[in-house]
Amino acid sequence: MAHADDKATGIGDVLQNVVAWPIRILFKLIDYPVTAIQNVIGIRRMPWLFLLPNLAFFGMFVIIPLFMNFAYSLTGGTELFISERPYTGGEQYGFLFDCDNYADPISCREDRFWKGIFNTAVFIFFQVSFMVLFSLITALVLNREIRGRGFWRAVFFFPVLLSPVVVALIWKWILLRDGILNAFLISIGLDRILFFVSPEWAMFWAVFVSIWAHMGFYTLILLAGLQAIQPDLYEAAEMDGTSKERVFFRITLPLLWPNMLVVIVLALIKGVQVFDEVYVLTGGGPGTATQFIVQYIYNTAFTNQVQNFGLASAASMVLGVVLFVLTLTQLAATRRRDND
Amino acid sequence: MTEIHLKNVRKSYGDVEVIHGIDLQVHSGEFCVFVGPSGCGKSTLLRIIAGLEDITSGDIEIDGTVVNHKGAADRGLAMVFQSYALYPHMTVYKNMAFGLENSKMPKAEIDDRVRKAAELLQITDYLNRRPKALSGGQRQRVAIGRAIVRDPKAFLFDEPLSNLDAELRVTMRKELSALHANIGGTMIYVTHDQVEAMTLADKIVVLQKGVVEQVGPPLELYNKPCNAFVAGFIGSPRMNMFQGIAVRDENGLALNVGGALVAIPDVPALQDGDKVTLGVRPEHIAVHADHSGELSASVSVTEQLGGETYLYCDAPGLPQITVHQGGQLPFQRGQALSLSFDRARMHIFDADGKAVANGLST
Repeated sequence: MAHADDKATGIGDVLQNVVAWPIRILFKLIDYPVTAIQNVIGIRRMPWLFLLPNLAFFGMFVIIPLFMNFAYSLTGGTELFISERPYTGGEQYGFLFDCDNYADPISCREDRFWKGIFNTAVFIFFQVSFMVLFSLITALVLNREIRGRGFWRAVFFFPVLLSPVVVALIWKWILLRDGILNAFLISIGLDRILFFVSPEWAMFWAVFVSIWAHMGFYTLILLAGLQAIQPDLYEAAEMDGTSKERVFFRITLPLLWPNMLVVIVLALIKGVQVFDEVYVLTGGGPGTATQFIVQYIYNTAFTNQVQNFGLASAASMVLGVVLFVLTLTQLAATRRRDND
Repeated sequence: MTEIHLKNVRKSYGDVEVIHGIDLQVHSGEFCVFVGPSGCGKSTLLRIIAGLEDITSGDIEIDGTVVNHKGAADRGLAMVFQSYALYPHMTVYKNMAFGLENSKMPKAEIDDRVRKAAELLQITDYLNRRPKALSGGQRQRVAIGRAIVRDPKAFLFDEPLSNLDAELRVTMRKELSALHANIGGTMIYVTHDQVEAMTLADKIVVLQKGVVEQVGPPLELYNKPCNAFVAGFIGSPRMNMFQGIAVRDENGLALNVGGALVAIPDVPALQDGDKVTLGVRPEHIAVHADHSGELSASVSVTEQLGGETYLYCDAPGLPQITVHQGGQLPFQRGQALSLSFDRARMHIFDADGKAVANGLST
């Protein structure tokens, strides 16, 4: 028996050496230049060296485009290269914000921008409110001891894994003039509804599909929050004769609030950025009924006959400021949750 | 003042029965401690009394009223949880007032009760703090305060000191004892720590595998354990147990322990050749530097605590023997000695572990 063990150890040693040998060589090879660099820049600056690859990507795809975008927003004309574009200062911003009455998009010079903002605001109001509400209800139900809990959790999370385009296409096929839903309505003796022709129905489905696609993610955050609440607290409340409503409003909700805040702010950020799902589902129509701010930027820069990069960049900067404020709020909310 | 009476209480999870027909009476004003190893069912039994767990069969009576189907809130009991279960988003004051607010008690009375309890527990200065700003001991006091303000029929404690460090545990133990003397309510206390059980209890209930092994005052359990399990569980360090064969001759009854004959109290029921377990507490063993004792042994480990000494001795064919003596004994590791057992305080258990003699009483 001891002999067999020895043999096994021997093979293990050989394998280990075979695997370890090239790794050891590799580390030796890396060691020389890294030691040399450390001697030159000092050990305190070494973390920057390791962060450099990521910083380079971040700079190339985020920071540089951000500054380029700002530079473009200060120019006019239709030329692609910034060197060929005339400097116009804040003219694009002035054009965007030139309104007689901000509550009435038609009174603005760039009414499509304000229509996009108005549509986005309506979308966010309904989408975020119902998303948070449904996510909370779903999380509360999934947190209970129900039969097939794992299955139901998966069911609610699966749409999150789908590509937004796939989600939109699935629902488009369901909602089309000859789609499954209309076939069903007709089969029960109702009239066909042209969902993408009515502005209200189009907005409804834009909100509905968005909630369906993203709810699982927010449910998961809330579920994690619910599971972090000590079961003893509920038992203590039970001993105290606390009613179910009071338990929910005085114990569950306050303890879940930090997670709720994160969910609300994240949903707001995602809501402001909404584009792909709705673009594939409704194309922004009928008319501009579901054209949101990101689609306005996309159309202005790339699909309109006159490609107005300057105006699109200015609108992007406005959107960027909104997202920056929301992100700061989200960071503050996360910090508060971690402190609690 | 409240009496709690359990009658043939059983609890099953699916097909597995975890509480096997327990009968128990906790008298009014009594401090009753449930003690036993992990998984013995003591916490389950407490939760059953609290109303947090349903029973499968049997009856639970509080002051003569069957409460099997009453919810936790309707039984009028208060519970202090192992984790304290304080609401982290509420101040100490709110934590203590929360249960009273549920019953729609006037604010002035709530305030009065909270402040009186806070004074009793010396937490008045912390009333506006949140639990996370308190130490473990202070949190424990708040949890007790939350129970006190409700003026419950009985207090239930589920291992309330197990999250505290050793020093604080001793302090809190004394405070709990004083609290019981002060407010005088019926208290049921769950612990796996037999020192807590011995020091706090008026009555100890020793549980094992969902069965009550013995019920009685601490010293009765210590002096007259009804079986080998209770004898081993109560007392620290544990009682020494030696398995052997009874030898009856003209000199009386003796036990062949690892080849040595140890004289034991004469138990008429024991016959020559019976399998017997001898139990001797560490403090009932005398140590001899020469060979005048009954059993030769050598010192394996010495623990000198200043005021007392523990010796762990090895003897051929026997499990390690623990000896507890007052003062400072000059024995070194490896030193040969002999041991003799106090016959008047021996415990004899039959082959089933049932006590047939505790000391000279049989």
